[in-house]
Amino acid sequence: MQIKIEDDFWQGDDEAVITAWLVDDGAEVAEGDVVAEMMLAKVQMEIEAPCSGVIHIEMEAEVPLKKGMVIATIDQ
Amino acid sequence: MSRKPDIQTMLWMYKHMVLSRRYEEALAEAYLEGKQPLFNMANGPLPGEMHLSNGQEPCAVGVCAHLLDHDVVTATHRPHHIAIAKGVNLRAMTAEIFGKQTGLAGGRGGHMHLIDPAVNFACTGIVGEGLAPAAGAALARKMRGEDGIAVAFIGEGAANQGAFHETLNLAAVWNLPFVCVIEDNSYGISVPKGAATSVLHNDVRAASYGIRGYHVEGNDPLRIYEVAGEAIERARAGKGPSLIEIETYRLAGHFMGDAESYRPAGEKDALFARDPIPKFRQELVDAGAASSDDLLWIEEDAKSCVAELIDFAKAEAYAPVQEALEKVFV
Amino acid sequence: MMAAEKKRIRKLTIAKAMSEAIDQAMTSNPDVFVMGEDVGKLGGVFGTTTGLFDKYGPDRVRDTPISETGFIGAAAGAAVMGMRPVVELMFIDFFGVCMDVIYNFAAKNSYFSGGRQAVPMVLMTSAGGGYSDGGQHSQCLYTTFAHLPGLKVVMPSNAYDAKGMMTAAINDDNPVIFIFHKSLQGMGWLGTAKGAIVDVPETVYEVPLGKANISREGSDITVVGFGNTVHHALDAARDLALEGISAEVVDLRSLAPLDRETVLASVRKTGRLLAVDDDHLSYGWTGEVIASVAEAGIALKCPARRIAYPDVPVPFARPMEQFLLPNAEKVKAAVLSLMNSVVSV
Ligand SMILES: Cc1ncc(C[n+]2csc(CCOP(=O)(O)OP(=O)(O)O)c2C)c(N)n1
Ligand SMILES: [Mg+2]
Repeated sequence: MQIKIEDDFWQGDDEAVITAWLVDDGAEVAEGDVVAEMMLAKVQMEIEAPCSGVIHIEMEAEVPLKKGMVIATIDQ
Repeated sequence: MSRKPDIQTMLWMYKHMVLSRRYEEALAEAYLEGKQPLFNMANGPLPGEMHLSNGQEPCAVGVCAHLLDHDVVTATHRPHHIAIAKGVNLRAMTAEIFGKQTGLAGGRGGHMHLIDPAVNFACTGIVGEGLAPAAGAALARKMRGEDGIAVAFIGEGAANQGAFHETLNLAAVWNLPFVCVIEDNSYGISVPKGAATSVLHNDVRAASYGIRGYHVEGNDPLRIYEVAGEAIERARAGKGPSLIEIETYRLAGHFMGDAESYRPAGEKDALFARDPIPKFRQELVDAGAASSDDLLWIEEDAKSCVAELIDFAKAEAYAPVQEALEKVFV
Repeated sequence: MMAAEKKRIRKLTIAKAMSEAIDQAMTSNPDVFVMGEDVGKLGGVFGTTTGLFDKYGPDRVRDTPISETGFIGAAAGAAVMGMRPVVELMFIDFFGVCMDVIYNFAAKNSYFSGGRQAVPMVLMTSAGGGYSDGGQHSQCLYTTFAHLPGLKVVMPSNAYDAKGMMTAAINDDNPVIFIFHKSLQGMGWLGTAKGAIVDVPETVYEVPLGKANISREGSDITVVGFGNTVHHALDAARDLALEGISAEVVDLRSLAPLDRETVLASVRKTGRLLAVDDDHLSYGWTGEVIASVAEAGIALKCPARRIAYPDVPVPFARPMEQFLLPNAEKVKAAVLSLMNSVVSV
């Protein structure tokens, strides 16, 4: 399952940035775990795991993110 | 005793309000360079905190219209509007805000530490710090029998610092030519005035020290001018210190990067609807003080002045890094 | 199912780790409460009280007026009565407005009461520069507090220590100055050293105050750091390893009490010492550490050295500030020069 920046995550076409991954690549995560912190303009937000499994990080921290991008995948 | 400003003064006030606004808009733009999409305060040509004063311009011009170069002003972490109205050298100030060698302090100070001895202006990043030094400046003037008074600008949050109460008492006991101006913008960062202050209006606190207290509503430059005029005239005449609280508002966040989630919904829109600059403009036109064209000319002039300042500051060089080790002592 | 037993890895920022420690203490002990500027709805300018206001309400998570003399003094007074306040001074730079009650009251109350009256308060405060916030918002000032008897002075270099040390600080019966470094805090708008965001157990645990930590073992030289400079030392040590130099990194974690034993043991092993501080050089802890080694009579293979912030205020301009700050390159260069030098007899 993918963790994707959904269109309704925020309004407008601004870019966001992951400020920190809170899990290692390949780590075991549970549904609802906060896996990353993200910042959009001035607002800090959390990204939760949509399901349990092993997470594979696709986008490193501090890289600009656009809507629709996949930031990680989780093998259930 | 109080009187209204003449036309020339009103135009001076309008001009400096507009100049301050355009100036801060330009700073805001430069501030965001290098900070998108990741807002990291360390990045861009203007790193660090940036506190904008837009919305509060009436306080600066209404008070400073009465001041001369030899009058002393201390301001806060939100200093630009006051510095501009006090006549701080804008090239040197802008270069300082950009950290350049030709800045007021050669880049050592930055936007919260603007000191221009030529016009007796200083500001500080510590809430309430400017109060007692301003009273001390007033004391020095008085002891030497020199002309000149001192005005300390603070935010309403600073009125809860011990330094506020100690300084007012001191200034009263010694009958100093001192005026404390509180810019009440309703917030200290995220905390609303009502949650932090035991009285509705701080001017009532003047009674505790046996000095004059004034309250000015409506963020209205003309009312501010009148009230400040009376307080400053009293100070010059040796009639002692005063405390003025001005109801104003900040149109921006506490600092740039503030998400302002503590504001009730719709508050910002309501504030912008009461923006003091278009309001004052309309008043000037309605009163026949100036034509719309005259004001347009002032506005264009402000724009080009600001553009020139920013271009200048950006083009200036940083001081050689070794200069960081100098000037610890004079 | 095995999954429940499997140890879940969870990283936190220092901000979240501090919040979690305070949260857990508030849950288990009704005497623990929080106050400070903007600690309520905003959750602290540096995220130290994230989520606490919503959970515990305005009575136990108190936004204060900008009255540090008042509310920090009140924290000390409440602590004397047996409460366990966690009070925030937004920037360590601001201590000037409230120091009396910290060092003349809180720090001395045990002594003046013959040890019969405790002041179990935690004063948490941010420190450090590097992001061009000017000379009143970028200072470290750690040793100013460490110089004063009666205060415990600690700073975590990572989120694991932050949680455990905050828990220990709240449980401690003495006033603890809990410093957190802005370069490590995990606020997106400040940038954060990656090594500060580490695995943090969800359980309640303590990291004892006054114990240094060997962050990296080595045999050629001891590099002592505190807070952010631990990360400079670790970065340099990784580089130096490629050049065949084995640096041991000691994270002091606490200035008062100072864990001299751990430092001395390390220096006895390596025979070389570099101390790295981002607080002002003169009268700083680097001098204290080197003096301790000298007094212990440990024979060094080369002179001890220190890197610290020069004795000037913090300038605003980025090039100037970066020039003055310690960093990994300076640590590496100092280690290389020490490895090539000898004590002259
Ligand atoms: C002694 C001190 N305490 C806290 C701060 C942090 N701080 C900076 S500005 C500010 C709010 C000030 O509010 P106010 O006096 O109303 O001024 P405003 O920002 O609204 O202009 C605070 C708490 C500080 N700079 N100094
Ligand atoms: Mg305010």
